[in-house]
Amino acid sequence: MRIFDPHIHMTSRTTDDYEAMFSAGVRALVEPAFWLGQPRTSVASFTDYFDSLIGWERFRAAQFGIRHHCTIALNPKEANDPRCREVLDVLPRYLAKDGVVAVGEVGYDSMTPEEDEVFTRQLALAVEHELPALVHTPHRDKLAGTKRTLDVVKESGIDPGRVLVDHLNEPTVGVVHESGSWMGFSIYPDTKMDEIRMVAILREYGTERMIVNSAADWGRSDPLKTYKTGLAMLDAGFTEADVDKVLWQNPVEFYGQSDRLVLDELPGFSSSTETFAGNSVLRGGGNT
Amino acid sequence: MRLGYGTNGFANHRLDDALRIIADLGYSSVALTLDHHHLDPFGDDLTKQVDHVANLLDRLDLRSVVETGARYLLDPTHKHHPTLVCDEPEGRIDFLVRALRIAAGLGSDAVSFWSGIRPSTVDPETAWRRMRAGVGEVLEAAADVDVPLGLEPEPGMFVEHLSDALRLREELGAPALFGITLDVGHCVAVEPVDAPTCIRRAADLLVNIQLDDMRPGVHEHLEFGEGELDLRATLAALSEIGYTGVAAVELPRHSHAAPVVAARAFSALQTALHHAPAPVTPATGDDHDPEWVSTVDHPWLVEAEQKVRRDPKSVAALFPAVGRKVGRAPLRPETDPQGLVHGTVDDLARTRLLTVLSEVLDSDKDSGKLSEEIAQLYRYGDDAERRGVLRGLSALPAATVPAGVELVKDALRANDIRLVAAAMGDFAAAHLDAHSWRHGVLKCLFVGVPLAAVSELDSRTDDELLRMVGDYAEERRAAGREVPADAVTLLEARP
Repeated sequence: MRIFDPHIHMTSRTTDDYEAMFSAGVRALVEPAFWLGQPRTSVASFTDYFDSLIGWERFRAAQFGIRHHCTIALNPKEANDPRCREVLDVLPRYLAKDGVVAVGEVGYDSMTPEEDEVFTRQLALAVEHELPALVHTPHRDKLAGTKRTLDVVKESGIDPGRVLVDHLNEPTVGVVHESGSWMGFSIYPDTKMDEIRMVAILREYGTERMIVNSAADWGRSDPLKTYKTGLAMLDAGFTEADVDKVLWQNPVEFYGQSDRLVLDELPGFSSSTETFAGNSVLRGGGNT
Repeated sequence: MRLGYGTNGFANHRLDDALRIIADLGYSSVALTLDHHHLDPFGDDLTKQVDHVANLLDRLDLRSVVETGARYLLDPTHKHHPTLVCDEPEGRIDFLVRALRIAAGLGSDAVSFWSGIRPSTVDPETAWRRMRAGVGEVLEAAADVDVPLGLEPEPGMFVEHLSDALRLREELGAPALFGITLDVGHCVAVEPVDAPTCIRRAADLLVNIQLDDMRPGVHEHLEFGEGELDLRATLAALSEIGYTGVAAVELPRHSHAAPVVAARAFSALQTALHHAPAPVTPATGDDHDPEWVSTVDHPWLVEAEQKVRRDPKSVAALFPAVGRKVGRAPLRPETDPQGLVHGTVDDLARTRLLTVLSEVLDSDKDSGKLSEEIAQLYRYGDDAERRGVLRGLSALPAATVPAGVELVKDALRANDIRLVAAAMGDFAAAHLDAHSWRHGVLKCLFVGVPLAAVSELDSRTDDELLRMVGDYAEERRAAGREVPADAVTLLEARP
């Protein structure tokens, strides 16, 4: 099983996690910029965090044979804090970076006017920088938040095929399916989605535009949930090809729209496992 | 690439004399236009003549292509007549088939041809049909003798643009023997994009190149420098695509002074090749040679340098894009797979950009601005950009040294081994204080950067560093761990 985890906050994880992920077949991931649990109080703590995402964390992942990419944005929660909003002015500098494959996470937390404005501005940045957008849907009032998200996406003029609407569940998957955007599901130990319910959704809606992530962070979460979902799919009668589509091809196709995915294997991590054999896809590098 | 000269520019010379002069001037190929006085394809002793010319080409070590653009060879009253698109194209087809056989006899690379001007009485659909039919027929003959054809888009003719020629090729099923002849002057005159872009577009299909200068909108073959062709960039593009065939000067209206004009052209070509900027290209797997740079330069980088010259601020947007555009391969992958010692191709390209930036800002007598810009590039750079700044520091003017030292110290506080390695190069050897430099060396041993990455290791090693390394080795032994080989070597060299 080769796995691309399209949403995982590795900054909060240990090297043991990296090792376990590599053993399970994870060869590439995307780390979206989000909040840190403890609220930030200045732009400087954002830029240090972004520097980590495009530098240190990428280096750390490479030590374990995993290609690290990230998304950059002001997250919805902190969009409400005027001390943080100024970070919007430095975003263009980061959106030009090699490992940055989308604008994100953007979207709603409490659906305030401030969140509206920041969401709209960042979707415009995505269009301007020719990057896809990763959209977070709120934990509270989810269905209304998801519908409003889709309206804002529509108004922004961004191609729905370049938008991934994340953290979906049974009540919210339908509207996103209709909209033409990609559908993201975070598989958690006890909140959001679990593997069994995920398999049921895949049965109902098929594997097109379906994306599964662990969204593991500093909270109770499991970086191997992508792998476990793959196993649950096989148990339920899905084929290896189906699993590969959901856990590898789909996220590669979505983030590949940035032209910045680098998926060739890292030096020292040769194709010793079957799961990675034959893959030397390089997207966006072109000249190497 | 084999630089050559076209015999249609020696119309007042005997062919043998022309070939000798061309070879004597230093050219290594020739574009041979079949004409009534130059290897007459309708002559009674054709076979004998072909043998004779083949021998002469061989003796002079000239590669060749056969050109079929003679003016009054087939019809003494109508220039270039008949053509592939006129009402009676048979004469042209027969001639092209003859040319192919002659080319086979000469051992030439290709036979070059054009469509001809579409007569006003022939509609474009008919002309296109005739091109398809005529070329199809000639291609069969090409297959018999296994000599490629090169269709040359010609200003004013029916197949005028490269895109027309490529489309015709596609419609005929992209036959292997259907190549392209490209006149780089024509690109200036009539193509929507410049010559290097046309060269890259046709790339593998090119079987023959004609070199000359031209002005936009004017189909007049000029000597180099008289028109608007960027000869350096054109030759660089040919190298870049790996073109190894004939590239011959095409000056058909300069026969009256052929030897002088040909000598001038040769010297212009040498100058353009010689002054090509220091090239940047990824090393190939079997590249052991320290002179890893070939004659290839990366077109994106050349353009980026021009942008920085025009607008120094543009460096902020260009710097992050370098890896995506020129690649990220290590320069010596065999011995240095991570590029820790010798760096990577993007490192090298970034040094080039920094050098240009320093020239622009320094000429403004404003090196404070340069220091500031470099600090910003580093501050907002990702790991690769920071590495690029660090490796470029030694190429910058002295006024930037204080700023550079701060950046090196910042990098030595990092744990990314590629930053640590890049920080300990020539700049650190020259400008870092003894204490920081020693700690830099120790950090390399600590995090696993080969000491080969440390510049001036031998000359800067002092007793204090040896003491520190000795203590470190002792600590490793006490813990039952292996002492890094580089540490052992360093200690053994200075007992």
